[in-house]
Amino acid sequence: MAVLLETRDLKKHYRMGASTVRALDGVSLEVREGEFLALLGTSGSGKSTLLNLIAGLDRATEGSLHMFGQDLAAMSSLELSLHRRRNVGVIFQSFNLVPTMSAAENVALAMMFAGVARDERQRQAAHLLGAMGLGDRQQHRPRELSGGEQQRVAIARALANKPHLLLADEPTGNLDSRTTREIMDLLRDLNAREGKTIILVTHDAALAERYAHRLVTLLDGAIVSERAIARSAPGDEGDSA
Amino acid sequence: MTLRDAIDLAFRNLRQAKLRTFLTTLGVSIGIASLAGMVSLGVGLQDQTVGRLQRSGLFDAVTVLPGGDRPGVMMGGRLGPRGFGRRGDPGAPAAAPDRVERDINDQALADLAALEHVRDVYPALRIPVEMKYGGESEFALAAAVPVSVRGEGAFQSMTYGRFFASDAEIACMVSLDLAKRIDEKAPGALVGRSLTLNYAAVTPTGVPQRTEFACPIVGVVERETGPFAAAAGVSPLMLPMGKAREMYAASAIAAPGVSRGTSGPRPYGSAVVRVTAAQFVPDVQERIKRMGFNAYSVGDSIQGIKRAFILLDIILSLIGSIALAVSSLGIMNTMVMSILERTREIGIMKAIGGSDGDIRRIFLIEASAIGFLGGVAGVILGWGVGRAINFGANIYVEQQGGAAGNLFSLPFWLIGGAIGFSIAVSLLAGSYPAARAARLDPIQALRHD
Repeated sequence: MAVLLETRDLKKHYRMGASTVRALDGVSLEVREGEFLALLGTSGSGKSTLLNLIAGLDRATEGSLHMFGQDLAAMSSLELSLHRRRNVGVIFQSFNLVPTMSAAENVALAMMFAGVARDERQRQAAHLLGAMGLGDRQQHRPRELSGGEQQRVAIARALANKPHLLLADEPTGNLDSRTTREIMDLLRDLNAREGKTIILVTHDAALAERYAHRLVTLLDGAIVSERAIARSAPGDEGDSA
Repeated sequence: MTLRDAIDLAFRNLRQAKLRTFLTTLGVSIGIASLAGMVSLGVGLQDQTVGRLQRSGLFDAVTVLPGGDRPGVMMGGRLGPRGFGRRGDPGAPAAAPDRVERDINDQALADLAALEHVRDVYPALRIPVEMKYGGESEFALAAAVPVSVRGEGAFQSMTYGRFFASDAEIACMVSLDLAKRIDEKAPGALVGRSLTLNYAAVTPTGVPQRTEFACPIVGVVERETGPFAAAAGVSPLMLPMGKAREMYAASAIAAPGVSRGTSGPRPYGSAVVRVTAAQFVPDVQERIKRMGFNAYSVGDSIQGIKRAFILLDIILSLIGSIALAVSSLGIMNTMVMSILERTREIGIMKAIGGSDGDIRRIFLIEASAIGFLGGVAGVILGWGVGRAINFGANIYVEQQGGAAGNLFSLPFWLIGGAIGFSIAVSLLAGSYPAARAARLDPIQALRHD
């Protein structure tokens, strides 16, 4: 399978007063199209920082990050917002839904920035929420929904502009075990049936092992181990270098 | 993101915080009300004075005198000291030796009327007559009044009766003074009665004779008005222009010596040229002089008055602007608070593809919506307060014996300008918060609670 994104010696340094925090310190990684990759690590290992750089929410200090042949490090702020709009869909631990908007409006909001016409937005939002099993919850506000339902709304929103890549940052961190399985099954289906490339950030190694094709473990901003997991499901074997 | 969507989102946000939107908008409306009220007061005062002066008919008029060096020939008819300052007078200024010096005859009136920006031309006439009413009789100089001055100065409000219906009407108006001399108790009852007027005329064969006719009184007016009345003194008796010219022509032949040696009707002592707008007066005056006449106007004193009012307007709007400046800080405060409150939401919008420009646009639209609503409310508020003050002031003015008027004037340009200014100030006040919102770092914004 083709390489979807590739980082070369990616670094992200923060200045904290007099000292410099090396959140990422030279990460080189390839992600292939259709892959389900898990980024493992403890808190502070740099896994979320890497995800934010791929999402275009943050800028690298050094190194390159190519996706679709473009270097995110060289992009303007407007180009980065277009990247977030078209190329990636992000799912957060805390769902990050707009509390004053209904489920359908939250999904439609993503399409609003993409300039999709109102009727088409409403139709597409209803379709996506239906596919997430929320056909009867469309007009509910986030606080009227359970955690699992909120995360499904967030997944529907992440899919709204038909991105190739889904980025999930601890998507089940706030959910109970049964709901965790439901959400993870949903992500696996999206990967297997719709060919979405998924990068999952988690500290839960068992969860990652159960769903991902490849596990990449970070420690102190660097990759310390990489392991492919053989699966019968479609997708790449993700051989490690 | 389309503009329509940005507007929808902005109004949604404003509805989300109804009380805060209301209070901020109220602040803006008070600012706009004070500004619009102050300017409205300035405009109103200007209308009260400049408008009244303009309607007096003094400022759009050029008084035309025959050519040549004829100082002080302001009186019409036979009263003017005629017969000196003729062409070729050695004392005449040599400024324009080839200038044709002209008399004011009917041809001259037609030529003057043909000038650009000229609205009306009429001779300034005073006809000596003997008025008879009841058993009394008195001499007066009847003033010739053209119907075109209807609505000017004192003619705006007839004390009793009506203005002349046409120049050809056989009728007369009397001043309130005269009416009271005739009938102290009921001067208005004179309307409909007649005066007998007796004037000097000559028969075509040159025999002088007194001519008498009955002239119905159609109206009583406080006083005669117009440029000629200002120069020659007011007259208690007013006749329509047509009848007055006929009387002047009939009496003219009696004094052939006054026409400059030429035959035909006697020329007029002076004429009044009315211009379409006061700013054309200098231009028209200059062209009349080039035609061979002398021409005078009240001058540009009205321009000086206008300048003074512009200064007053500026001072009043500066005072009014203080409240608007305070309310613009209110907008800024509201927007900063709103951004602080919605930091996470801004982070979400950025994470799902909202650009810096989209975010800025949403907040600028919110600011201008507050400005628009505040502007409209402010104009209404300012108008209401102005009416209330005006009402109170007029009660006082009338108690003091003055005439009620509009101290506040709210023309359409002021309404539009106030609302536009309100939007502009709000956009300015909102531009810093909007830029701040646009610059927010999405990751930090998403961590915000």
